[in-house]
Amino acid sequence: MRFSDLLVMSLNNLKRRKLRTVLTVLGVIIGTASIVVMMSLGIGLQELNMESLSSWTSLTEITVTQNYSMDPNASNEDSFITDDVVEKLSKLDHVVSVSPTLSISVIVRQGVYICEYANIQGISQEALHKITLESGGRYPDPDAQQMEMVFGNMVIQDFMNSKTKKYYYETGELPDLDMSQPFFVIFDQNAYYQSLYPSGDTAVSPPKKYMLNVVGVVAGGTDTYNSYSYSIYTDVEQLKTQLKKVFKRNPIPGQPTNSKGKPYSYFIYNNAKVQVDDMDNVKEVQQAINEMGYQASSMIEGIENQQRQAGMIQAVLGGIGAVSLFVAAIGIANTMMMSIYERTKEIGVMKVLGCDMGNIRNMFLIESGFIGLAGGVIGVALSYGISYLINHIGGIAQAMSGMDGDISRIPLWLVGLAVIFAVVVGMGAGFMPAMRAMKLSPLAAIRNE
Amino acid sequence: MGETTPIIQVRNLYKIYCVGEAKVRALNGVDFEIYKGEFCAIVGTSGSGKSTLLNMLAGLEKPTKGEIVIAGKHIEKLSEKELVAFRREKVGFIFQAYNLLNTMNALENVALPLSFRGMPKKERLARAQKYLNLVGVGEQARHMPNQMSGGQQQRVGIARALVVNPQIIFADEPTGNLDSKTTMEVMRLMQQIVRKRHQTLVMVTHDNNLASYADRQIRIIDGKIVEITINTPQEDAVWEDKRDEED
Repeated sequence: MRFSDLLVMSLNNLKRRKLRTVLTVLGVIIGTASIVVMMSLGIGLQELNMESLSSWTSLTEITVTQNYSMDPNASNEDSFITDDVVEKLSKLDHVVSVSPTLSISVIVRQGVYICEYANIQGISQEALHKITLESGGRYPDPDAQQMEMVFGNMVIQDFMNSKTKKYYYETGELPDLDMSQPFFVIFDQNAYYQSLYPSGDTAVSPPKKYMLNVVGVVAGGTDTYNSYSYSIYTDVEQLKTQLKKVFKRNPIPGQPTNSKGKPYSYFIYNNAKVQVDDMDNVKEVQQAINEMGYQASSMIEGIENQQRQAGMIQAVLGGIGAVSLFVAAIGIANTMMMSIYERTKEIGVMKVLGCDMGNIRNMFLIESGFIGLAGGVIGVALSYGISYLINHIGGIAQAMSGMDGDISRIPLWLVGLAVIFAVVVGMGAGFMPAMRAMKLSPLAAIRNE
Repeated sequence: MGETTPIIQVRNLYKIYCVGEAKVRALNGVDFEIYKGEFCAIVGTSGSGKSTLLNMLAGLEKPTKGEIVIAGKHIEKLSEKELVAFRREKVGFIFQAYNLLNTMNALENVALPLSFRGMPKKERLARAQKYLNLVGVGEQARHMPNQMSGGQQQRVGIARALVVNPQIIFADEPTGNLDSKTTMEVMRLMQQIVRKRHQTLVMVTHDNNLASYADRQIRIIDGKIVEITINTPQEDAVWEDKRDEED
């Protein structure tokens, strides 16, 4: 028998018992939808967690720092993060980019407002461009005459009114800073404090102030935290040039000195941020860097832990959904059995007329498989509807997850899997009845009157 | 008759049913031959074992003992799968209750056995139409079984048996559900077609009158053959039919 003929016969059989077919399909629809919706909640929850994690840290970033020896006399020189090391790291497999970080504490002031513990971080242009800026801002130009700065969106809270000596957290009033005007930046903190509070007889003249421009502010406003909120960012090369200009041959604060107490002739970065192409490769790259003799740390352990938990939640939710599909499978089996009792004579006639036993079995398998397919497809469609409602009807999602964003998410693989699963369940439920139909005696056709 | 090649050979055939402790001998040692192109009637009262015999010839039931050789094949040794294939290729079956599939129209019913052979739809429907014309219900091809009279339904049933061009046609009380006028029509139709096409027809009936249409009658009582009579060919059974059949 041709497959097309089998298909037509099976579909006709389903058509002639419309109500029963519809009811059976309905069972599968509910079963499929409950699995899909349950799993979509699990997936949504996991993705929401990942998103909130990645909003304040990059999941594919590895922070590389020097190895700190326990021995105070030993030099850490071998593991200094220098330009050479940055070069070496960028040649590793799966590494997309490496950005060194050079950070230094400075004092920043404008008008009456002063921030005595501002932190300037020099990072690469690539890393700068990852920062989302408030509209109107731009990134520091590496070729600018003067060093340009990007303010973290919460830096403004760290300014103190030098007249009232009050901070934002005390007054609740934001300092009235004008971002379009230059800020005074004092790099030599030691000299600054020594000139303010002179000790003994050595009078120290106040250090030089540099007038620098703020070209952009990190997006997010003053009350939304992200990983760029509390620092001032600038181009790393510009910062190096600036520091050389400020300190000349003197040791730069924060930079290590050799065993004789002299500064090195090159800059040693605080750390290097390595961007990996995919989250799956982070672990491997991290290990490689550790083997090179540096400290490498990333979010990966935490993420793995979380993924394991999320997997468990998904399994539990999917299992709850599976119960209703199991009930639906019993429904299919029942429908097919009924159908066989009704069609005993017909099946017998077909066998007398020479219909292959395999064909009869396949006919029933196609019928039950089709019930599964129809239920699966409609069930997935229904799931999209339910998912939309969960995500959009006032605050269900927020109440369930405590986070912003869609909590029910149906990825394409889940759609494919659900439909295939429904078909398999349908055929599985139809298997026993199909075998029974196949083994029916053709004599029944003649005996029944 | 002049026919000497036996297409069906039955040797020492027994069928014993166990009903509780008691053994019922439905067939108790039956031997006979049916020749190619012959119209043979198996006659007997209800419970004589005639239907059991037919079921075994068609491979629907297994004999307890004995041999059935059809076209050189031992039917009693075939597996169920092989039996299905045997029926599909060699046998046509006409039922007492017509047994048309109610979900299909006349044309589709006739085409059904062809679909089991994997014949493409267009081809088999054309062929089915030809056979419906042959049995005289070509006009009702699109009717559903419940829209047709018993006689029409049985004609469709006959077309369904003939459409596969079988070597042997088995008919189990084919006119049992029909009135006497229709019975005559159906009997003549079967007789005529079988003769023209030189096919073998084995009919089971309890009606002596109907059996007289056959070339030969095998009378069976209590599972044993008691009499085999050869009917003289009736001259009046020469038929003219304009819808002559070509293949």
